[in-house]
Amino acid sequence: MRHRIVLQNITHSFEDGGMRRVVLDNLNVSVAEGELVAVMGPSGSGKSTFLSIAGALLEPTSGDVLVDGQSVIGKAHQELSDMRLHKLGFIFQSANLIPYLKVEEQLLFVAKQGGVDKKQATGRARELLQKLGLTHRRSSYPEKLSGGERQRVAIARALMNDPAVLLADEPTASLDASRGMDVVRMIAGEAKEQGKAAIMVTHDERVLPLCDRVLYLEEGRLVAH
Amino acid sequence: MYLAIREMRFSKVRYTLIATIMLLVSFLVLFVTGLARGLAYDNAASIENMEATHFLMEKDSNHRFTRSQVGAEALEQAKSIAGENNAQPLGVRMTTVTLEEYKLDVTLLAVEPEGWLTPPAAQGSSLEEAGVGSVLVDSKLKDSGVRIGSTLVDQASGMKWTVAGFVDRESFSHSPAVFLSEHDWRQLQQVAAARSGMPTDTTYSAIAVKAGKQQAERLAAALPDNEIVTKSEAVSAIPGYKEEQGSLMMMIVFLFVISAFVLAVFFYVITIQKSSQFGILKAIGTRASYLAGSVALQVLLLCLGSLTISVLLVQALESVLPSGMPFQLPASTLALTSGAFLAMSLAGSLLSVWKVSRINALDAIGRTAA
Ligand SMILES: Nc1ncnc2c1ncn2[C@@H]1O[C@H](COP(=O)(O)OP(=O)(O)OP(=O)(O)O)[C@@H](O)[C@H]1O
Ligand SMILES: [Mg+2]
Repeated sequence: MRHRIVLQNITHSFEDGGMRRVVLDNLNVSVAEGELVAVMGPSGSGKSTFLSIAGALLEPTSGDVLVDGQSVIGKAHQELSDMRLHKLGFIFQSANLIPYLKVEEQLLFVAKQGGVDKKQATGRARELLQKLGLTHRRSSYPEKLSGGERQRVAIARALMNDPAVLLADEPTASLDASRGMDVVRMIAGEAKEQGKAAIMVTHDERVLPLCDRVLYLEEGRLVAH
Repeated sequence: MYLAIREMRFSKVRYTLIATIMLLVSFLVLFVTGLARGLAYDNAASIENMEATHFLMEKDSNHRFTRSQVGAEALEQAKSIAGENNAQPLGVRMTTVTLEEYKLDVTLLAVEPEGWLTPPAAQGSSLEEAGVGSVLVDSKLKDSGVRIGSTLVDQASGMKWTVAGFVDRESFSHSPAVFLSEHDWRQLQQVAAARSGMPTDTTYSAIAVKAGKQQAERLAAALPDNEIVTKSEAVSAIPGYKEEQGSLMMMIVFLFVISAFVLAVFFYVITIQKSSQFGILKAIGTRASYLAGSVALQVLLLCLGSLTISVLLVQALESVLPSGMPFQLPASTLALTSGAFLAMSLAGSLLSVWKVSRINALDAIGRTAA
């Protein structure tokens, strides 16, 4: 079993008005291909911080992050951008689509940034939209979509460049129960089928049965109950 | 490119508004520039039209034709240094002439009729053909009732001249030019001298020369009592020229600054408004340089669009302006002004570009609502 993302001895502290606050304390976690891991924990426990570090958006105070065996620590801005573009797929809680791009363009844009040729990109976008049941909304702007549709577009966009790792920060927060289940099912399915590693921060207990593992962020570490 | 264009397509109203402001400002810039050029030309046309490179003037005359007096011996010396054909005497006097009972403010320009300072007649006969006692006048004087054959009487000296022909676009300090022969100029001086009871030798206001840099230096060395002044120095010393151009220039500079500022503020505000969007774009792997380029491209497109329209508008306007209106916008000035406008706009976008590069991808996660 291949570990697509590994976080080793991650410690992170914020400087807060002269006080050092340790949010993550020697945290270790590995996620294998095909695995969906749920991360839970009280507000302010550091879940978003953890996800930002896993997604190469934030450099930890110490520790290492390996994506497909490649370390993200100490890389230049541009290299990190490229890494996020090719290796990491983000799904945020809300407001994560670009308002002036039509659904299909949202996907084509990331492909274009990733240097994928246009024809291939169009094919892949069609395929993904089809899979997520969005074909009929292909040329709508995000403002015309329902919350669930938007979240599905975000998933499609995250998958567009075939990343190694999917990272989702409360992807179901703005959705009703059944829509939420659908979205998580899709993320789990993608992980299984494509052999990706997926980490999802969630407050929603109902989606836990769909996850392979549930970890709790307590005192700066991830523990299973 | 991809983002910039799609965003403008999506937010048409927003971008149309800013394009309209830019259009108005750039139109104003071009119009005032044309006016400034036109006024400058109208002011100094006769001097600008002269083929001279330098003017030899009296020392301490502050480069002013009307204050300078240069003797005949200086003319001889200039001719010997610059070449017989490269030095010409020039007399300049601002005066009032009467046409029947009308008074007209004009500038007398005394030239050798067969020399290269004499403009070709657009109508009537040339100064050379017309002979002594005849003058060529600027065609603007037609509006005041001057015709070929009219008699102009100099108020100061009482001398009378007959209008032999008209010349186009000849003026000095905004007053229409009256070209007379050097012979008549000498007579004019004698009359004036007789009145004041102090007979003097003939003097000119300046000597127009065609000379290279080295010749000009030799002239300056050979004639210590005189000063060698370049054409552009002489033009800006014409009464009123500097003041007029100065205030117009100030307007133009302010317009440039305003346009850069309006753009800067507008783009800064929308950039701040969109910072979470930029955060998301960065989080999904878009490079900061791409986003900065996107903002700069939008500014460039808006600017080019508005400039194109305003150039067309200004040219349309130019064709319907009355001919008496001093307005000139030659292609070179147009290109220069447009270039400067473009540069100022891009300078205005720098603030936003900087802001975009500072936006943190982290803003996309967890704190999107803020
Ligand atoms: N940039 C920062 N500077 C200082 N403190 C920060 C910063 N970002 C986060 N924190 C602090 O770190 C802690 C963890 O924040 P984080 O956003 O990771 O929490 P979370 O578990 O995602 O909470 P929630 O469930 O409410 O989203 C919080 O106490 C927060 O105040
Ligand atoms: Mg959070």
